[in-house]
Amino acid sequence: MKKILALLLAAGFCLSSTAQENWPTKSINLTVPYGAGGTTDLTARALANAMGRPLGITINVINTPGAGGSAGSLNVQNSPVDGYSILANGMLAFTTMPINGYTDKTFRDWEIWVATYAPNCVIVKQDSPYNTIQDLINAIRSKPGQITAGTAGIGSGGHFGAEVVKAVAGADYKHITYAGGGPALTATLAGEVDFSPQLLAEYKDLIIAGKVKALATLAEEDITLAPGVVVPSIKKAYPEAAKFLPMGEVTAILLPKGLSEDKLKKIDAAFEVAVKDQAFLDFTASRSFSVIPRNRADSQTFLEGFAGRAAYILWDAKAITIDPAKFGFKRP
Amino acid sequence: MALEYLAQAFLIVTTPLNIMVLLLSTGAGLIMGVLPGLSATMAIALLTGLTFNFPHQTALISLIGVYVGAISGGCQSAILINIPGTPASAATALDGFPMANQGKAGLGIFIAETASCLGTLVSVIFVLTLTPLLTALALKFTSWEFFLLSIFGILICGALTARGNALKGWIAGVLGLLVSQIGLDTVDTIPRFTYGNVNLMATVQLIPVMIGLFGFPEIVRAFKDSADDNILPLSKFEIFKGFGLMIKNAVAAVRSALIGVMVGIIPGVGEDVGGWLSYWVSKSRSKDPESFGKGNPLGIISAEAGNNACIGGGLIPIMSLAVPGSAPGAVLLAAFLMHGYRPGPLLMTETPEFIYNIGMYLIFASFAMWILALFIAKGTVRILRINKKIIMPIIFTLCVIGAYLINYNMFDVKIMFVFGILGLALSSANFPAAPFLLGVVLGPMTDSNLRRALRIHDGSFATMFERPICIFFLTVIVFMILSQTGFFKLFKKSKKPLEGN
Repeated sequence: MKKILALLLAAGFCLSSTAQENWPTKSINLTVPYGAGGTTDLTARALANAMGRPLGITINVINTPGAGGSAGSLNVQNSPVDGYSILANGMLAFTTMPINGYTDKTFRDWEIWVATYAPNCVIVKQDSPYNTIQDLINAIRSKPGQITAGTAGIGSGGHFGAEVVKAVAGADYKHITYAGGGPALTATLAGEVDFSPQLLAEYKDLIIAGKVKALATLAEEDITLAPGVVVPSIKKAYPEAAKFLPMGEVTAILLPKGLSEDKLKKIDAAFEVAVKDQAFLDFTASRSFSVIPRNRADSQTFLEGFAGRAAYILWDAKAITIDPAKFGFKRP
Repeated sequence: MALEYLAQAFLIVTTPLNIMVLLLSTGAGLIMGVLPGLSATMAIALLTGLTFNFPHQTALISLIGVYVGAISGGCQSAILINIPGTPASAATALDGFPMANQGKAGLGIFIAETASCLGTLVSVIFVLTLTPLLTALALKFTSWEFFLLSIFGILICGALTARGNALKGWIAGVLGLLVSQIGLDTVDTIPRFTYGNVNLMATVQLIPVMIGLFGFPEIVRAFKDSADDNILPLSKFEIFKGFGLMIKNAVAAVRSALIGVMVGIIPGVGEDVGGWLSYWVSKSRSKDPESFGKGNPLGIISAEAGNNACIGGGLIPIMSLAVPGSAPGAVLLAAFLMHGYRPGPLLMTETPEFIYNIGMYLIFASFAMWILALFIAKGTVRILRINKKIIMPIIFTLCVIGAYLINYNMFDVKIMFVFGILGLALSSANFPAAPFLLGVVLGPMTDSNLRRALRIHDGSFATMFERPICIFFLTVIVFMILSQTGFFKLFKKSKKPLEGN
């Protein structure tokens, strides 16, 4: 009996002595600054599950919705940098935080791993008079400021999509904002708004079932959703739209700079395993997301271009008052 | 086909493992529901993470169990200590707490849980039979309808809780609406009343407000009252009497459940309104409306059948459009997606068994909830035997923990204290807390839908009068304001002397 006790004690000591050197020794909190069930949340959960395994711990997803995602992001920014507090966020909202006046830090102050891309798609109700993207653009041109677009709010993925449509049309639309992608979608189905330019993933099944008409995607290529259901790229009808593409939500996991290279390498390795995880790939495929994994250095390069496009769309839409140039954002 | 799927679902849920999981999760949901501050949303979110690697059906069973449990558990604390366990059970406290004070807490909990069970069962029937039809109803609601429905909800709640002076209830409701304006507004994301504080930008969290508003006055009252009053007589369950009451009020219970289903279908309205609306209908149809608010069992039955029926109602837009109707619904949708199901228009062609599985799990969960709730209540009613000066500090601690757990943020604890003090001020001036809470719940819906509707229609109110559902709401609202402010009584009085002459 004593022997067993001694063994147990020894084992306990071993565990506690190695605990100081090893990382991670307890579960990691992954903050999603939106409510559960959204694009970012689902991607984060699939990723968290796949990354926890190689790290040998569980990654808990914590939803802290509010203030367009900035509340949760700032929470992580202000937490101690010990590797136990990680953020998952959509890069549209995240990279535009400084020019919205929420913080002075930019994406360059974070370690970022870009994981997925989800394109925008312009849809209209089943019995809408618009059958092609040209119909819609022509309507916006002939009735400037009167065609309504339903989105999940200022700075949401849908807002960026609508601004691309506006840039192509050269005329303004009427922006109607909702409390989320779901309400904006039901408003489109109920005929309260003329079109919705949100992420394709949000209404993929409705398109396949023929409940809504998909006019164009803001990806660079046409997208085949199901046999015979192809959503054309807006580039096909309007080649000049190319400079705004690809537009959509990019989801990444990130944490403020300052973690030791040793720990960062562990996250690098876990991320690489996770983006090849079958469950993660199945999930992304079912939602029509592209997996575009980028390591830390490549993510920064990718985001320089992406953040510039996003920032200047908002600036040109007069949705922000802080000049993106102040933070070194580059005009596309 | 349908029967075959139901039979399959029955076989899945009755395996020993799944029955055990169902009982465990329903019990966990009940306990989280009973404790003020631990909400249904949180219960489901926690379980979603825990069950990620479970077999799909087992995970679904646990999620449904915890959802049903959490929504139903809230009534026990509402009845026993006048602090609703979840915002949805605020209406239950109205008659539940007076009933407990009359020494009939056991009977109160029995009929509350039985009505909860019944409400869920009625809603299941709708999920299984009328999903496509009712989805069409959900799409009839545009910004004007949402705006009027939320105003209607607050007016009802104010009139019901103010004990004769509806104006006080409405003032409390408007105060709640004002508080909900704090934060980034949902139309233009412009910060309002935030004073540069990031936490305020994220709006005031609902649960800390609820705990503060309802908890503090009760805690302070326990220390103000003399010691003798603090121990209430412990009552028996009186199951036969309970069943008798249920049978007597069966029509009202089913009617309340139907109202709950309808409210549940409309995305974004949720359980809170369901309870109030069915309570109001029962009271206004009653021959003895004066007895409501003083321990009328029908009040409890209506509120609980109404809020639990929202569960099934809320599943309808999730199943057909993948649009959640409430916060717990949103978490549930996320869990469905995570387990590889794709609620939406393709659900019936891709996984036709899904809807029948969920229906069967709901049926089992509501029975499990009923049995477990009565079992748990055997323990919880004993709270009444303990001196409130001992129990209330414990509840106070739970309040602080509950507020912290929402976002793991101390700021929410501070918010709870602020609203606790406000709650004390309100209760000492006889303003009811429930309309204040509902104002905070519905504020974003009221504000953003009014402004959205005005923006769509170029600032014109005229389009409101072109919509049938709007006309209905407007009529009821005007009628209610007139009747509560004594306009009709004036009319009657001025007539009578004339007749006398």
